Amino acid sequence: MILKIDNLYKSYDAIGAVNGISLNVEKGERVVILGPSGCGKTTLLRITAGFIQPDRGTVTIDEVTVAADGKCFVEPENRNIGMVFQDLALWPHMSVYRNLEFGLQARKIPKKERRKRIDQILVKMQMKQYENSSPNDLSGGQQQRVALARALVSQPKILLMDEPLSNLDLDLNLLLRKEILRLQQDLDITMLYVTHDRDEAFSLATRIILMSHGKIQKVGNVEEVTEYLSDLFNPC
Amino acid sequence: MNKALIIALSAVSAISFLGSSCRRDVSPETKEVVVYVSEDRVFSEPILKDFEKETGIKVKTIYDTEETKSTGAMNRLIAEKDNPQADIYWANEPIRAVVLKQKGISTPYFSPNAKGIPSVFKDPEGYLTGFSARARVLVVSTEAEPPRSILDYTNEEWKNRSVIANPLFGTTTSWVAAIFTIWGDNKAKEFMEKIKDNGVKISASNGESTLLVANKEFAFSLVDSDDATNVIRDGKPVKQIYPDQEQGGLGCLVLPNAAVLIKGGPNPENGKKLIDYLLSAETERKLAFADCAQIPLHKGVETPIDVKKIEDIKTMDIDYEVVATKLQEIQEYLKEWSGY
Amino acid sequence: MAKKCTLLLIILLLAVIGLAPVVSMFIKSFFVDGELSFKNYQILFQSKRQWSLLSHSLGLACGTTFITVLLGLPLGTVFAKTDLPLKKLFTVLFVIPLVIPSYILAVAWFYFLGRGGILAELLGANVGVITSRFLFGFWGTLFVIVSTLLPIVIILTITYLRIVDPRLEEAGKLSAGWPVVLRRISIPIVMPGVFLAGLIVFILTLGEFGVPFSLRFEVFPIESFIQFSAFYNFNAATAAAVPLGLITLIVLIIERLFLRKKTFQFRTVGPEETRIMMPLGKKKPLFFIAVSILAFIFVIIPIGVLMIKSFSFSAYHEALVRGLDSIFRSLLYASIGATSLVIFGFFLGYLLERKALRLSFAADSLAIFLFALPGTVISIGLISLWNTQATNFIYASAVIILFGYVAQYTALSERIMAATFSQIPHSTEEAAQIAGAGWFCRLFGVLVPQAKYGMVAAWLVGFIFCLKDLGITMIVYPPAHDTLPVRIFTLMANSPEQVIAALCMIMVVVTCLPLGVLTMVTKYMR
Repeated sequence: MILKIDNLYKSYDAIGAVNGISLNVEKGERVVILGPSGCGKTTLLRITAGFIQPDRGTVTIDEVTVAADGKCFVEPENRNIGMVFQDLALWPHMSVYRNLEFGLQARKIPKKERRKRIDQILVKMQMKQYENSSPNDLSGGQQQRVALARALVSQPKILLMDEPLSNLDLDLNLLLRKEILRLQQDLDITMLYVTHDRDEAFSLATRIILMSHGKIQKVGNVEEVTEYLSDLFNPC
Repeated sequence: MNKALIIALSAVSAISFLGSSCRRDVSPETKEVVVYVSEDRVFSEPILKDFEKETGIKVKTIYDTEETKSTGAMNRLIAEKDNPQADIYWANEPIRAVVLKQKGISTPYFSPNAKGIPSVFKDPEGYLTGFSARARVLVVSTEAEPPRSILDYTNEEWKNRSVIANPLFGTTTSWVAAIFTIWGDNKAKEFMEKIKDNGVKISASNGESTLLVANKEFAFSLVDSDDATNVIRDGKPVKQIYPDQEQGGLGCLVLPNAAVLIKGGPNPENGKKLIDYLLSAETERKLAFADCAQIPLHKGVETPIDVKKIEDIKTMDIDYEVVATKLQEIQEYLKEWSGY
Repeated sequence: MAKKCTLLLIILLLAVIGLAPVVSMFIKSFFVDGELSFKNYQILFQSKRQWSLLSHSLGLACGTTFITVLLGLPLGTVFAKTDLPLKKLFTVLFVIPLVIPSYILAVAWFYFLGRGGILAELLGANVGVITSRFLFGFWGTLFVIVSTLLPIVIILTITYLRIVDPRLEEAGKLSAGWPVVLRRISIPIVMPGVFLAGLIVFILTLGEFGVPFSLRFEVFPIESFIQFSAFYNFNAATAAAVPLGLITLIVLIIERLFLRKKTFQFRTVGPEETRIMMPLGKKKPLFFIAVSILAFIFVIIPIGVLMIKSFSFSAYHEALVRGLDSIFRSLLYASIGATSLVIFGFFLGYLLERKALRLSFAADSLAIFLFALPGTVISIGLISLWNTQATNFIYASAVIILFGYVAQYTALSERIMAATFSQIPHSTEEAAQIAGAGWFCRLFGVLVPQAKYGMVAAWLVGFIFCLKDLGITMIVYPPAHDTLPVRIFTLMANSPEQVIAALCMIMVVVTCLPLGVLTMVTKYMR
C-alpha cells in the first residue's frame, strides 16, 4: 500500500470540506476521485500533498505517517510526490529545461543525471525541441506536457493530478488522456487523479472514488460506479 | 542556501561599514571633540572650522534648527544623559545652558579666557560662560515716531500692528521669563494680557517676525539683534531700536551664547580647549563681523559700525538661573497664552 | 520550519528595532516626576482644546485623503490606461513634490502666494492680501499637503492598474465602452491599491506638523512637539503622540473589514504591449490641457519658484560647498535604508499576503502603527534604548539611522510587497515545494524572480522616504553624519534664500537622478 488515508476530517469556518474519508491506494493504481465542484476532492489532494493539514485523521505514504491530527511530520518537499496543478503553475521566468531541472537540483541530483532524466522525459513527452523555450511561448497542450514532465522527472512515488485537463478543448483532452495513460503504464507510477468529468474518470481510472459533500459515496471500478450512478438517477 | 549566506554576509558587511564610522572609543582621548551647537550653523561652522585648522583637533558637530522646525540638540543632550556623546554644548542663549545645569547634564569649567567677561554673563559655579551676545531689540518699519519700549506693545497707537514670536520657543521665552522675574507674576501677566488685547500677532519665529515687519505687514516686533541687523544689511527699509534705554528704564535683555562642558563627555580636555577658543576675544570679533552681528562681551573688541558695544547698552538686570527657573514655572501659562 | 523561523526572526527584528523603543517610551509616559500616574493622559483627554486640535487634524487628514484620491485616481488612470502624449514626463513631474520635504514646499508657496510674494509683485498688493489669506489657514495647509502627497495616489493607481488582468477588461469591452469598463471593472479591481494610497496619505497628514505650523493652522501633533521642544517633557510628548497611533489602527481595522470579503484578480506582470490602452480620441487635447494645468499648479509653480530663487551660479556653488558631503551620505544611507526596507518588506509582505503565520495581521498592524507615530517619538525611544556603553557601536554609528528608517517606513515596503505577492499564484510556490525545494530555494528560485519588479518599486519608494526623512534623522544622527535634509534645515536659519533654494533644487536632482537611472535599468531588464 503506497498511500493510506485514515478517517480524515478537514473544516473551513465550521464547514466540513472533508468528512471522515478513508482510502487506500496500492502501488501502480490509477485512482480517480470523481465529484462535483466543492465536494472536497481538491482538499483531499492538497492534504495528501501536504499543503494543508487535516484537522483529524492520518495520512501515511509508503508506511510513513506524514501527517496526523493537525500536525505535519513530513514536509511536502520531502514526500517525493509529483503534482500537476489545475493552473499548471509553470515558472514563467524559467525555460522548459529549467522548469524541469529545478526540483532535481533541489534534491541535489548530480548534473549528468539531471540532464539524462530531463532528456528522457522530454523525449517521452515529445517536447525535446522546446527545452529552451519559455512556457509563455507554448500552446496550452504543450504547457500541459511540460507540467506533466516536471511532475514526473523526479520519479515520484505518487503522482497527484488536480483537474489538469479541465481547460483544454476536447481533442487535446482526449490526446492528453492517452498520453497520461501511456506514461503511467510505462513508468508504473501510482496516480491519484481528481476530476469532475465522468468521461475522463471512466477512461483513466482503474478505480474510481465518488465523492460528494466531503464524503465518499462509492468506491469501485468503472462498471460498479456506472451501475451505482445509473441506480441513483433511475431508482426504479 | 549559498545565496542566503551571501546575502547574510553582505548585510553584515554593510552594517560593519556603517558601524565603522562609530566614533566612540573608551579612553584614551582621541584627537577630536564633539560639540552640539544651537547657534545658527551658518555662523558657528566657520568658527569651528577655524578651531580645527588651528589646533588639528577634528570637530564633530550636531547642529540645531530653528526651534519651531524640529526638535534637536537640547533633546539629544537630555536623552543622552546617561551615556553622553557630546563634549561641549554651544548654546545660543544662556537659559538652555541653565536647564542643562539643573538637569545635571553639565559640569563646571573655569576657562582662563573667561576672565575678561563680565560676571553677570557667567555662572558663578562655572557651569556656563557667556560670549558674543544678542540683544532683544525692536525692528521697526513705520515712518512715524517709532516705539521705544516694550510697553509700546500695549500702546493703543499700535493696536493690531505689532507682532511677536511664539513665546513657547527660543529667546522670546527667555524674554518673557525675564520680565516675570523683574516685575513679578501679577504685573507680568497683566502686561501679557494687555499685549493680547492690543491685537498682537503671534508668528512662528523671530525670523518670521522680522520678515513680516520688513514686508511692512506690521509696524514693529521684538526680535533678536542679529535678525534685525541682517535684514538691514539686506537693504530692507527698517530700523533697529534698543528698547527702554532711558534713565530708569527697564533696559534690554541681552542673551549671550554660552559654552557648556558636558558631564562625562568622551573628550573633556579637547572640550575645554574648544571652550577656551570660543570664549576668546578673537572669536567674539569674528562673530561681531559675521552676519550674526553679535555683541562681544570682552571690552575693547573691534566691532563693525552697526554692532553696538556692550558697554553702550543698558541691559536688563537679571539672574539667568532665576530666569531659567521662572521659565519652567510659567510654561503652562505661556502655553495657554499662546492658545495651545 | 525554515520559513517559520525566518518569518519569526523578521518580526522579532522589527519588534526590537521599532517596537521596543516605542514601548519603552510608552511605559515612561505613565510616569510623572518618577511616580506612576495617568496625569499625562488625563491632561490630554480632559483638555477641550486638544479635542479641538484633534478634530482639526482629522479634518485635514480626511480632506487631504479625499482630494488626493479624487485627483490622483483619474490622473493615475489616464497615465496608466490611455494614450495621453508625454504621460511618462507627466508622471515624473507629479512625483517631484513627493521627494521634497513638505516644509520646503510650504516655503516655496509662501514665496509665491505671500503678501510680498511673486504673484503680488505681478498682480498687485490686493491680490497678495487675498492669496496670503488663502495660504495661511486650513485651505492653504490642505493645498500644500495635497500637492506633496498626491504622487502617492498616482503612483499606486498606476501600479495596480498595470496588473489588472486584461481579459477582464476585454470581457467588459464586449458590452460597454471604455468609460464604463474603467468605472465598473478596472477601478473596482484596484480598490486595494486605492485604499492603501488613501491609508498612507491619511497617516502622513494626521502626523504632519511642519506645514500646518508654518501656515498657522493648529493641529494635534503640535502638543507632542511642544512637549519635546519647549518643555523637554518626553513622557508627556509620547502620551500626546499615542492618539495618532490609535486612530491609525482604527482606520486599519476599517480597511480590513472593507477589503476582507473582496477578491481582486490580477495577472502576472507582462510587457506593456499586452496591456490594453484606452484611446482618448477627440478628447485627447482636452485631457492634455487639464493634466498640464494640474501639473503647472502642483509642480511647475513651486519648483519654478525654487529655481527662480536659486538662479545664480554663486548660490549653487555655495550650496554645493556647504552640502556636498551630506549629499553623498544621504545617497548612501538612503540606498542602504531602502535595501533594508525591501528585505523587511519582502518577508512581512509575504507573511501578510500568504497569511503564513497567525501573527500576520499583528505584524502588519505593528508596521502601520510605527509608520503613524511621529519620528520624534521613535527617535527618542531609539536613543533611550541604544545609547548605552555596550551598544555604543550601534548608537554612535549610522546604524542607528538605519534602525530609524526600518522602524518608521517598513509599512510601505511591506504593503507594496504584499500587493506584489498577490500577483504570484500560490501554486508556483507549491509546485516548487512539491518538486523538493526547501524554503530558501523556493524563495530565491521562484518567488524573488517573479517578485523582482515589486521589489524594485519597494526599493524606489523606500529610497524616496529615507532620503527625505527628517523626523528620525534629525534626532539620532551621529555627529558629522548629517544627511541633506538635516543639512538644509540646519542651514535654513539666516542662510541666504538663494542658497537654501539651491540646496532644495539639488535635493530634487539628487533624488530624481538615481530613480531615473533605476527606472531605465529596470526597463532594460524587461
